[in-house]
Amino acid sequence: MASLAPWREASYTLAIWRRHFLVWQRTIYSTLALQVVNPILFLFAYGLGLGAVIQTLDGLDYLTFVLPGMMAYSALFTASFEASVGAYSRYAYQKTWDAMLATPVSLLEVLLGEALWAAFKAMLSVLGVLLVGAIWGGIASVGGAVLAVLALGLASLSFAAVGLACTAHAKSWEFFNYYFTFWVTPNFMFSGVFFPVDRLPDPIEWLSWLLPMTHLIQLVRPLTAGQPLALGPALLHVVFLAVIAVGAFLLAERRLRARMFD
Amino acid sequence: MAATPIIEAKGLAKSYGAVQAVRGIDFAVRPGQCFALLGPNGAGKTTTMRMIMGLTKISAGSLTLFGKPVAQIGRAERARIGLVPQEDNLDPDLSVRQNLEVYGRYFKLPKSVIRERIPALVDFMQLTEKIDQGVMQLSGGMKRRLILARAMIAEPELIILDEPTTGLDPQARVLIWKQLLELKRAGRTLLLTTHYMDEAQRLSDWIVIIDQGRILAEGTPGELIAQHVKGHVFEVAKPLPGVLANGRFEHEDIGDSVLFYVEQPGELRRELPAETSYLHRPANLEDVFLRLTGRKLREN
Ligand SMILES: Nc1ncnc2c1ncn2[C@@H]1O[C@H](COP(=O)(O)OP(=O)(O)OP(=O)(O)O)[C@@H](O)[C@H]1O
Ligand SMILES: [Mg+2]
Repeated sequence: MASLAPWREASYTLAIWRRHFLVWQRTIYSTLALQVVNPILFLFAYGLGLGAVIQTLDGLDYLTFVLPGMMAYSALFTASFEASVGAYSRYAYQKTWDAMLATPVSLLEVLLGEALWAAFKAMLSVLGVLLVGAIWGGIASVGGAVLAVLALGLASLSFAAVGLACTAHAKSWEFFNYYFTFWVTPNFMFSGVFFPVDRLPDPIEWLSWLLPMTHLIQLVRPLTAGQPLALGPALLHVVFLAVIAVGAFLLAERRLRARMFD
Repeated sequence: MAATPIIEAKGLAKSYGAVQAVRGIDFAVRPGQCFALLGPNGAGKTTTMRMIMGLTKISAGSLTLFGKPVAQIGRAERARIGLVPQEDNLDPDLSVRQNLEVYGRYFKLPKSVIRERIPALVDFMQLTEKIDQGVMQLSGGMKRRLILARAMIAEPELIILDEPTTGLDPQARVLIWKQLLELKRAGRTLLLTTHYMDEAQRLSDWIVIIDQGRILAEGTPGELIAQHVKGHVFEVAKPLPGVLANGRFEHEDIGDSVLFYVEQPGELRRELPAETSYLHRPANLEDVFLRLTGRKLREN
């Protein structure tokens, strides 16, 4: 039997991650355009456009308000896309997972590799937005920004896990229309990216608390804006994101195990 | 003499919902053997191989690999198997070399070992000139050879080949036969499926013919031919001369003509009236296959 030392076993997950990284390297420019330039364009459009109309929101100038939202958006979009459409094409079309599973790599490791990869890619775009936003003067607290990046990393894992759970249930590409319409878009629209969720009608505000994105923004905004963040609620947000990550991941693994091996 | 089989199936069965793909088969693959699993489309060959690889759970019966039930197979055993799948699952965005590197890492081979093996493997499959080309630039036959090279990266004891030469030109098939025989000489065990009967006849020590998930016959190529189609085939055009119409010889009606199977060509030739038009040839595995599995096309 192989050694059970975790760092030795982790090399299998790392091998999967490295495969994705290598493929990405070969197409680096087009993916960079999508992942970094796209959210930055958003930032400019909303920052300049809305920023000209809205001077301050919740006591913050609009750039400071919208920058954390844009970072969260790029994490949401990149991780969700990679773990759904990206992973599904590897699974169902390129049969990349089949190739991996014919080796000592396990399904759990294939999925962990996918989740880590999607989160990694998401963080690249987050850092791109952060960099531009910081240069532009949207970051009030450097320490807060570091913590915000950690929160975004955790959230990226949650978004990736939900994407994988969706991939695990998808029968065709059409399935992802539901995923984007009923999951990704609401996370984007009703989570406080452009305006605080308490401006929403009450029932919708309550529903918005079911979205991981809402919790993410509640964490990230005070951090980058240098506002106080109460420890209790912050922990609740972190736990919420972690529960989604683990729950969705396990759901994906269970569904795929049945689907692929039965 | 029987060494512990590398693979042993007893009453092995697999159902996908209502579809019974494999319906209780028994076989044993011995170390160093080239074992061929033959059968028409949909016979259950790929399903059987997937069960062996642990890529599909078994529904009934037992299946052991290296003496262990498949359900208990872990990384250590999986590292001893190389799979050439029926479907191409190379990484289309990577080069030949990168495909091999990436695959080697799935086996946790050290970088130095991977670096050392790649030139030998691409040479083995005559892909050296293509080593830095993208997989999308390879022809179908080159991809197939790359899949074979990839399966060899961890120097597996057991190599499972699901139609390794489908879509290859005659030159490439001859190359692959030569390399497979070399692997066999080096003591590797081969489990092969193919729709080319000449290939099975040439490479295999033991053949199992399955259809609709059941075993129809098994034996060495020679035994199968002797048992099911004697040694010689006479294809006689209709209408048959009266002397042959009496059922004295083993025969099979194939439409416009009738095939007669005899041990000695003289037995039948001396009976034939001079004007009969016929074709005589030694019987081969294809005759066995068609005789056992029928001549109708498999649509489902
Ligand atoms: N994942 C699956 N779900 C449902 N049915 C399946 C699945 N895979 C195979 N089958 C069915 O199981 C039967 C055996 O298929 P299998 O792929 O094992 O055949 P095969 O002998 O490899 O055929 P071929 O020579 O065409 O490759 C077929 O009837 C096929 O339709
Ligand atoms: Mg098959």
